[in-house]
Parts: sequence; structure tokens; C-alpha cells
Amino acid sequence: MRFGAFFLIALPIAAQHGRYVSESQHPAIGDPKAIAAGAKLYALSCPGCHGPDGSGGRGPNLVKRSLWHPLRDEAIFSAIRNGVPGTDMPPTKLPEDQTWNLVAFLHALIGPASENNVPGDAASGEQVFWGNKAGCSNCHSIRGKGGRMGPDLTNIGGSSPLAVIKESVLEPSKDLMFLGNEGATVTLKSGKIVKGVARNRDNYSLQMIDEGGELHLLSMADVNELKILDHSLMPGDYRQRLSQDELRDLLAYLSRQVARPKGTIRKANNS
Amino acid sequence: MTRFALTVLFVSACASAQVSFEDISKGPSEDWLTYAGSYPGWRYSPLRQITPSNAKLMSAKWVYRVPDARGLRMSPLVYKGVMYATNTNAVYAIDARSGRLVWQYRDVRAKGGGVNRGAAILGDRVYFTSSDNYLTALDRRSGALIFSRQFADVEKGTTSTSAPLIVKDKVIVGSAGGDSGMRGFIAALSAANGDEIWRTWTVPAKGEPGSETWSGFAEWGGGATWLSGTFDRETNTLYWTTGNPWPDFAGAPRLGDNLYTCSLLALDLDTGKWKWHFQFTPHDTHDWDAQSWPILLDMEFRGRMRKVVLHANRNGFFYVLDRITGEFLRGTQLIDKVTWASGIDDKGRPVLIPGKDPTPEGNWVCPSVKGATNWMGQSYNPMTGLLYVLTLEQCGMYNSSSQEPVPMKNFAGGGATEEGGQVLLRAIDPKTAKRAWEYPMTGAGRMWTGTVSTAGGVVFTGDDDGQMLALDAKTGKLLWHFNMSETLTASPITYAVDGKQYVAIASATAIFSFGLFEPAEPLTPPKVTLGK
Repeated sequence: MRFGAFFLIALPIAAQHGRYVSESQHPAIGDPKAIAAGAKLYALSCPGCHGPDGSGGRGPNLVKRSLWHPLRDEAIFSAIRNGVPGTDMPPTKLPEDQTWNLVAFLHALIGPASENNVPGDAASGEQVFWGNKAGCSNCHSIRGKGGRMGPDLTNIGGSSPLAVIKESVLEPSKDLMFLGNEGATVTLKSGKIVKGVARNRDNYSLQMIDEGGELHLLSMADVNELKILDHSLMPGDYRQRLSQDELRDLLAYLSRQVARPKGTIRKANNS
Repeated sequence: MTRFALTVLFVSACASAQVSFEDISKGPSEDWLTYAGSYPGWRYSPLRQITPSNAKLMSAKWVYRVPDARGLRMSPLVYKGVMYATNTNAVYAIDARSGRLVWQYRDVRAKGGGVNRGAAILGDRVYFTSSDNYLTALDRRSGALIFSRQFADVEKGTTSTSAPLIVKDKVIVGSAGGDSGMRGFIAALSAANGDEIWRTWTVPAKGEPGSETWSGFAEWGGGATWLSGTFDRETNTLYWTTGNPWPDFAGAPRLGDNLYTCSLLALDLDTGKWKWHFQFTPHDTHDWDAQSWPILLDMEFRGRMRKVVLHANRNGFFYVLDRITGEFLRGTQLIDKVTWASGIDDKGRPVLIPGKDPTPEGNWVCPSVKGATNWMGQSYNPMTGLLYVLTLEQCGMYNSSSQEPVPMKNFAGGGATEEGGQVLLRAIDPKTAKRAWEYPMTGAGRMWTGTVSTAGGVVFTGDDDGQMLALDAKTGKLLWHFNMSETLTASPITYAVDGKQYVAIASATAIFSFGLFEPAEPLTPPKVTLGK
């Protein structure tokens, strides 16, 4: 029961790698019909290299990119039309409107999961999230319920693409930016032991949130020993722990978690 | 097994802590739980470790650089050793002993900018409002989002800048944006889920009492409530100030007193219903919002004990009102040079000096548009019986414009500039309105720092030149200063952790925390291991 079934989604800083600049004014961007048409085009030609969900393979991951600079719709358009010289990415002969449909699909794919119609039964996924088998809520909270040791997931669908959420569930220690999420065990000089996540630390102080979700503000002068895990506290066995359907439904549920759902904007009676 | 048991015990000890209404009602202790420290708005702390005799030993303990901050105006909270500070659309939980970040919440979806004056706390939740009028509740330990609910429409000109005030189970929020046209309100929202409990508009709708004081533009008439208020537990009354009428400098389109702008409102906490109002500046044309603290005090006045509210107003006068009835008791000059009114009459109305409205060519009037004082926190110290108010002796040029007012186009109906002037911290005896002492500052008249005073007999404030100050609360004698080298526009607080008193203030870009000097102790780093 050392760290038990703690389900710490490793929300990577790398999520920003796929950040999209929404500057394009092209009418296809955000148009559901264009996105659907683009999805068909993608399925025909692209998954062989970029994976069915854009997560990469022979070609690069389109959702979590290694470069820090944000994408632009026009750059994607150009890469599709002209290919990328010096790589295996060939030019295409798609007409301009169809190319824009494909760009619209990629834009949606890279954007927040909540803005795409992620397949799966979200109601079943909700049961997976709050159930014992997955144990997600032992460590993660949504709208104030659940554990506090892991990252809050109230806005996970509103802030992360599906591919990032999926990778965080299945490979929580991959590309994990540990600082702020380190699993830690502290033995104080008084003999007390605190286990949890080090939210921040330096050579002089340590700010921890423990397994019960309580904060501990510690001075390193009071610490006898600090053990830091080299991987996420979140188990890495969800591919085995959950069935494919459960995983799909869980992702559908997480994808719909948005802090500010559309349609909730209040129009105050100001007159 | 022993280790496990110890862990459980430790966790249990931590888990019981929750902020209650009673905790906030008691006022500051080691913690600082509401914007002004206490419901009566005193910004006074019973801490007494730092005194006039040892304040010279103060030194900086830590600095936290707030990301993207450019002109912080917030006053932080402290609970159980954690400081909760805000910037626009962001909250930072900081270890109040070390200045290290515990968590941060940044609402990247929020529209708009502007300032933010602070957070509120109740139970295990920290509350703040975004610039686009969402009340957001976060878990105080993790920063996890509990709810985020919109209470006003930013497209109607309303934004949010004030720290919420939590009373019992209600989060009281205000409204900002009065300089470009909006309709002000105060609203009580449920601390549990953000549901609206009541909303009281500060400018009447057509046909409502007070609407006859507007010849036009009442629907965009301002009366913003951009500073949180105070609360009298005994009478269950909220005291809240309102801002300028709109257009700020053009009075012709809105002839009349323009109720209830530039006023103090007394509202029932449970219903939001009006108990009384008092308008300091009828038909204001100088942008003299009434936003400064309504300080609640029981004091002897003309031979009998009165429950009063003190108000140092931007228009240059210092008011004492009966806080039960709203009766005007006294109005005296707060600053030396006031040129728009010769005084306050028996009913509390200013005695106007003709020809002081803004003109196309400009009209030189005192005080300046910044006001004789402003929103920065004043402090009342029961040990000295003095009120500490930052004041500005400054005049300015007021211009009017003949442009057609267009709401939400940042149209103020003219403009104002100011020149020269001097900031002075003044200690005023509220019983007599006489100054006990004053501390003149060097600077350009640009800084707006609040005050906090203590049972230790010290007043802390900021200089007009970017220095943090400690002054003797009785005499105004300078005890200590520290150059922060930044524009100061925030109010300080004081708190304690592990028996040590700290004084914290935000500069333009960072939070500084000070305490008594302690020699560094050698620290042997603990054994740190990386393991699987």
C-alpha cells in the first residue's frame, strides 16, 4: 500500500507544445462540416505516418510537438500542399478547399478535447473515474470532489487535447516535468513521516501536499531525509487495468470536463 | 506501522483547520482573513512583537515575484502560514515563511485585464473574481477549482476588481467599469455554489425612487462598487461605497444629484435591502468616487456614545455619520486646500463654490482627480485612538468635452490632469477631526499605499518614493525604511507564523515580507535520495 492505487495524471508542461495560435480567419476553422470532411481526408491518407489520433508513428506527433513555437493554420496548410522538403512528408494535390478542411480537422485535433466530439460514453466514463477499479478520484479532483494530491482535472477537457490526456493516462511518467509533481517521502527530525507530492522545494524549504490532501510547509532544517521518486506517483498500468471500452469512456468523460462550459454565460439584466 | 500511525496523526491534526465566519469576526491574529483584516475595516492587528523600540531591526525576509505583474494593488490574506495573493485573473498560494510558491491558479480564459485587489477565504475555499465577472472558488490546499460562476455580463460594461467580502454564507461582490458607462450593483452570492442570493443596483431604474435625480443616462450611470465594504455584525448591516456618475466630467447630460453615485450605502446582509444612504458628492463632475473605507467605530461624539462610520472622502472632506440611521454628524476638511466647496452644511451637503465644473479650456480645482485620498486602506488603532489616512495635497485641471457620450467607448466626457502635490500620512483623532501628527513624503504624488497598524504601536505604510516605512503610531516618528524601488499601490498586512511577526506588502511586481532580523543559522542539507 506504499503509494497504493494513486492515479496521478502527469499533466505535462509539454501540453503547451501543441498550442495553436487561433489567428486564422479562414471560414473552415471551427466549422463542424469542414472538420468532419477533414477527418475523412485525414483517415484516408495520414494515419500511416501520424497515427489515427495524430499521436505520431513514423511521422511526428501532431498534437504534442517538440518545438515550443505555436502552430499557425497557414503553416499547416503550406506543409500539406507543398510537403516538407528533406523529409518523407510529400506534397499533396488536394484542392485548396479540401486542404483547408484538413487544416480545420488538425486545428480541432490539437485544440482542447472539449471542442471535439470525443467518442465514448461519458456517463460510463464518469463511473470509471469515481470507481475503485481506476481509483482516479483518490488523487484527482473535479469541481471540489476527490483527492487533492494529484492535479485538478476540472478543466482538463477545456485545456488539453485528447492525445495529451490519453498519453497522461497511459504513460504518466513520459515527458513528465517532475518539479511540482515529485512523489516524495519526508522523514522529519522529530520522527514524523510525510508522504505525498512535493509541490515546491529548494535547499531550504519544502511545500508538500500529503496523501490526505493536507499541506505541509516544512523547513529543510527540520528534515532528516527526503526521498524523491524518479517517476510519477500515478500507476502506469491503466492499459491493463481498464478494458478498451472503459478507457475510451474515461477519456470521453475527461474530455468533457470544462471550467466554463459553453452556454453558461450569464446575461445579467443590466437595464 | 509506527511510521504509518505517526503519519495519520499528523494528517489528522492538519485536517481540522477551516476558516469560519467566527474566525473572520474575531479580526486579525496570526492570520489575516479578510481584505481589511476585520469586518469594521480597521486594518489593525493585535500583534506586538515589532515595536517602536525594535522596528529598526526589521529586514526583508523574502520576495515573491508575481508573474506578469505590472501594478499590483492587492492586499493578501494569510491563513495557517499560507499567503493568498492575487493578480489579474490569478491567485497565488505562497509559503508565508519562505515566500515559496505552493500553488497557482491562472484563469487564461478570462476576458479583459484591469487590476485585482485580493481574495477572500471561508472553510477550505479561497474565492476571487475575474476581470470578466466570474466568482471562482478554489481549494485552499491544492488550488483545485471548485466552481467558477459568472455574476455579470462584461459586455454591459461591468468588470470586477475588488476583493470579495465573505459574511456568514455569502460572498459579497461589487462591480467596476464606471468610467466608461455601466450600471453599478452589489450582489450576494452563495459561498456554496455561487448562486445569486440578492442583487442591489446602485443607480435606480426608470420610475424607481431616485430616478428623478437623473435627467438622462441613468441606465449607464455608473455608481460602480469597485472596493469591498465593511460589516456591522450587531445590526447585520453592510456598508458599501459607490463610484462616480457617468460620463465622469460631463454633467449636462445627467442633470440632478445622480443618486446613488458617490455615496455610502447601508444594506441588510440577508436581503440586500436599503437601510439608508448618504451621498457625499451630489452630481459629481470631478470623478470623485466615494471609494475609501467606511470604518465602523463606537466612539464618544459631542458628549454621548455613538455608533459611527468614518469616511475620508476623495472630495477632500472627512465625514462622521451615525451608522444606524445614516444621520450626518460632522464634515471637516481632510486636506488643506479644497477649492470646489467652502464646507459641508448641516445636512451633509457640500456648500458649492460656483464655477468649478470642468470647462472646455480647463478649470483648476483642488483636490485633483486622484482625490484627497482614495481606495488604499486606512487604519484605525484602538490603542492610540487615531485613524491613519494617506492623503494627497494636489490640484488639477479638469476639462469638459462636447462629444456625444457613447457607453463603453471609454468616454469620460472630458479629462483631467494633475501636477505637483504631496502625499502625507495623517493621523487623525476621529473624535475631534484634528490631526495628531503627519508624515510628509517625498515623491511625485503618484503612489497610493494603504496602512496597517498594530498593538505593538507601529504603523506600516509605503512612501511616495517606493519605500516601505515603519512609523511610531503615537508620534509619527520614522522608525525604519526599506527601498523597494517600485511604484507602490497596495496596502500592507501583518501576520505571524511560528511566533514570528511579519509585515507584507505588494510592490508593482512583487510581494515583500519583512520581520525582525535574525542571524542566519547554519543549515545542514538533509539526505536527499532519488529512488524508484
